[in-house]
Amino acid sequence: MVPTSVRVRMYQVGFGDCFLLTFRYQGRTKPRHVLIDFGTTAAPSGSPSKLLARIAEDISKTVGKDPFAVVATHRHRDHIAGFDPGSNGKGPGAVIAALKPQFVVQPWTEQPDLAVDAKAPPGFKGLAARQETLASLQAIARHAVEVALPKLQRSFQHTVTAGQLAFIGEDNIPNDGAVRNLMGMAPNEYVYAGKTSRLASFLPGVKVTVLGPPTVKQHAGVRKERARDPDEFWSLQGKALGVGDKSGSTGNMALFPRHGQTTGGGAPLWARWIIKSLRSAHGDQLLELVRSLDTAMNNTSVILLFEFGGHRFLFPGDAQIENWEYALGQKKFTELLKNVTVYKVGHHGSLNATPKTLWKEWYPQAAKPLAMNRRMTSFMSTKAGKHGSVASGTEVPRTKLVTALKKWTRLHSTEDLEEALYVDEIFAVRD
Amino acid sequence: MARRAVDARRPDAQTEPAPTRGGSVPLRPLTILAQDPAVRRDGKILMATAQITAEPLMDGPCGARIKVVDYDASRDRLYLPMQGGYQQGGDWLDPFAGKDPARFLDDPRFHQQNVYAIAMHTLGVFESALGRRTCFGFKGHQLHIAPHAFAGPNAYYQRENRCLCFGYFPGRDGQIVHTCLSHDVVAHEMTHALLDGLRPRFIDPSSPDQAAFHEGFADVVALLSVLSDRAIVEQVLIRRKVMRDRRALISPNELTASALKASTLLGLAEQVGTSIPNGAATALRRSVALKASPRWLEDPDCEEPHRRGEILVATVMDAFLAVWVARVASLGIVSRGQCDGNRVVEEGVAAANHLLTMCIRALDYAPSTDLQYVDYLSALLTADKETVPDDSKYHYRQIIRDAFRAWGIAPVSHTGGDGCWESFDRRVSYRNLRSESLRRDTDEAFRFIWENFDALQLAREAYTVVQAVHPVARVAPDGLIVRETVIDYLQILTVRGHELRALGLQRPEELPTSKEVRLYGGGVLVLDEFGRLKYSIGNNVAKVARQQARLDYLAKMGFFEYRSDQDFSRGFFARLHLARARDRWTPGG
Repeated sequence: MVPTSVRVRMYQVGFGDCFLLTFRYQGRTKPRHVLIDFGTTAAPSGSPSKLLARIAEDISKTVGKDPFAVVATHRHRDHIAGFDPGSNGKGPGAVIAALKPQFVVQPWTEQPDLAVDAKAPPGFKGLAARQETLASLQAIARHAVEVALPKLQRSFQHTVTAGQLAFIGEDNIPNDGAVRNLMGMAPNEYVYAGKTSRLASFLPGVKVTVLGPPTVKQHAGVRKERARDPDEFWSLQGKALGVGDKSGSTGNMALFPRHGQTTGGGAPLWARWIIKSLRSAHGDQLLELVRSLDTAMNNTSVILLFEFGGHRFLFPGDAQIENWEYALGQKKFTELLKNVTVYKVGHHGSLNATPKTLWKEWYPQAAKPLAMNRRMTSFMSTKAGKHGSVASGTEVPRTKLVTALKKWTRLHSTEDLEEALYVDEIFAVRD
Repeated sequence: MARRAVDARRPDAQTEPAPTRGGSVPLRPLTILAQDPAVRRDGKILMATAQITAEPLMDGPCGARIKVVDYDASRDRLYLPMQGGYQQGGDWLDPFAGKDPARFLDDPRFHQQNVYAIAMHTLGVFESALGRRTCFGFKGHQLHIAPHAFAGPNAYYQRENRCLCFGYFPGRDGQIVHTCLSHDVVAHEMTHALLDGLRPRFIDPSSPDQAAFHEGFADVVALLSVLSDRAIVEQVLIRRKVMRDRRALISPNELTASALKASTLLGLAEQVGTSIPNGAATALRRSVALKASPRWLEDPDCEEPHRRGEILVATVMDAFLAVWVARVASLGIVSRGQCDGNRVVEEGVAAANHLLTMCIRALDYAPSTDLQYVDYLSALLTADKETVPDDSKYHYRQIIRDAFRAWGIAPVSHTGGDGCWESFDRRVSYRNLRSESLRRDTDEAFRFIWENFDALQLAREAYTVVQAVHPVARVAPDGLIVRETVIDYLQILTVRGHELRALGLQRPEELPTSKEVRLYGGGVLVLDEFGRLKYSIGNNVAKVARQQARLDYLAKMGFFEYRSDQDFSRGFFARLHLARARDRWTPGG
């Protein structure tokens, strides 16, 4: 049994991702639906207040009682906020849960309660440390937003830094309701590069390959480094700020309780210039940290490749280059990546999420753009002006990438949607 | 709280300590940590005394070049300084002298003194090696230091905020580790600030070597600073004094290169390194443990700046150990198969001093842009040759050449057989020049370049600026003074992508045809004591091979994604140290 067509529906969530893939089969076989991510951190301008609820209702209407599976590529709010059932249990997450998904696919880093010991599956070595890191990352983000940000916002000088810190930081704050709902709505499957996913049996006639995220061992193999475990750094940073694991934390401890001190606001004249500068430096430093942890979290993204009837659909979540490195170093994977027909643009069109080597594989220097009906179709879910800055060349979506996508692919962007709830396209099996 | 200048009302009435250097420069001894609180002998923290220029101090401490402001941005706290603590009556005092360190180790005022004294000492080392005053890489005379700037395992120099920032974090035992208490870390950060003043373009994106140089050089200075302090080396090395005829004896087994490599002296930031949970129980960095191999040049991992920097450190420290071991071998055995510990220390300190001076002085013989390790090697050799023409006694230059060769680094091709820069031998014109002005005045130095564009083989169409003119007096080991003038110039060509072809360069595909890119060239003109041109050392802005390599590197590193050099350079050291803190690496490991 092979699908006759697949519809890709990209919902307008602003800065976030929400894709519903519907695989149709011949005869009386029910369509099968896969929801890949459902979240936002910046709704589109002028959108209704209950945007996520509207989207959830539309998904519910579309899926009905058909077989249904969920993929949560990683735990950023812009990818999972919609799975939160809310405090009253009637939020969009409850609507999705009511569709009774058969299973939920998540990255291996989300596997709960798996100790690091000899019994752990081979691919999961280092899980506990990695989970502790993820917890530290989120705790640092919460500290940045809830403690450091208000201080920065009191100073008009730091509006750019503060705005970035707020946006990226909030994306990284834990969304406990969504996480719990994803754990409880169906059996969970935790995947890593090369693992066979249940999606393959769920979607007859479709070959599903998990290209990422790599496990600690896989990634270390790529990097050839005898690395100080980066997990240690985040744990230490979290403790220094007094967040995350409270043991050994210095966060609320007075550094020099027996010695004279004053607040920065009460500082003498001779210290004021440097105090302002140090506050600014601290803001920049926190932003750098939050960006780093944002990248670390993005790199836990599940990367999926669906193959059927002459098509290859690539859904990389927010994977950035460190996540991609493993897949791009494996010949069996790079072969699969050659003829992608549908590409979900990585990380909302950011600088590092569409690897140059991948792009060059698709579009060698000597190539010329194909006729529109023969081009790869790209889907980009994004909202400009929220992440990075044009001044530093880090804006999302990256202008240069958008230009290239328009030139070489058939681009669907949520930036081009006006009041529509989604954009979709049906891809028929190729002869 | 009022900030008070010490005896500002009667500065000429201050009672200074007795002069102890050169008979004219009064010094003030200040208590500092020899290394950090984790380095102890018989359970006692090793302390040392830094001899600092006895300048009028305001509370902070705050002197002419260093201003300590103890503000903690994470907690929004200003920890108050010692008020009037360096003055008692008419005397200048060290408030911590002779006291048990356990009593003041958690006193922020000691931390303030520690960073001030180590930073000032490092400044003194630079000025002594260079034979002149140095300036910082920003407008202004005073570098701020915040000993408890933020909560986090990092420390860095920030040009834009004119400051050194030191973080703090919880150690394994829950006790707070202050990076400002690590002698190595403070000297390292101060070196970044001083190097930035001497060579401001070294933080520009250029090549893997230049990106790595700042970090490697800062480590080299930090390590050799400690090794050139006799009291510190003695305390660490002579752990168990076996006295005979009033001499401390030490076993030759402890004086092999491998035994010395394992010493606390050769590791950086012992406490910071051992305090990182689950980390190796060693110093933060022990570059000297890296095994030399010429193959590293091809290893892509070595393009990471902080990793490549360790190669430079390993090379210089290998050379140091080779000199020290050779000098110790010449001492022989004095009693019961043991060596004279005091002489061993003396030889080590002398070797460290010599190498430290070489390393710093080499900056005056290095190109001011696009530095590569091969350039620095020639600069090192030339700097030494100028003051020590005869290398036959300790063979420093031969050992340096061998150490670099072991890592696959040979002097640049346009140097003589000994690896030193070739003397300038073309005719230059001194027409329209005033000899005295040429030794001090940037306009006069520019006129010299203007008169000699062709002889100097510089590009006339490039924007050219003389950044500084330094008259120097370098003291040789034999006491002779070598007087020189160092003219530091910069050339810039700003071209659009499509104009590169006309210069013989291939435009990287990442660089749009309409986007501007800056090509840099620059170097130093070294004049002898009579004002005659002795060396012209630099990178020509129009040299195709080097500029092409730089353009390719910039493309590879994503530089063309940034809007300007400033965007790239902003937060350079914080990012570099952050990356380094998250990575411990061994070539081939």
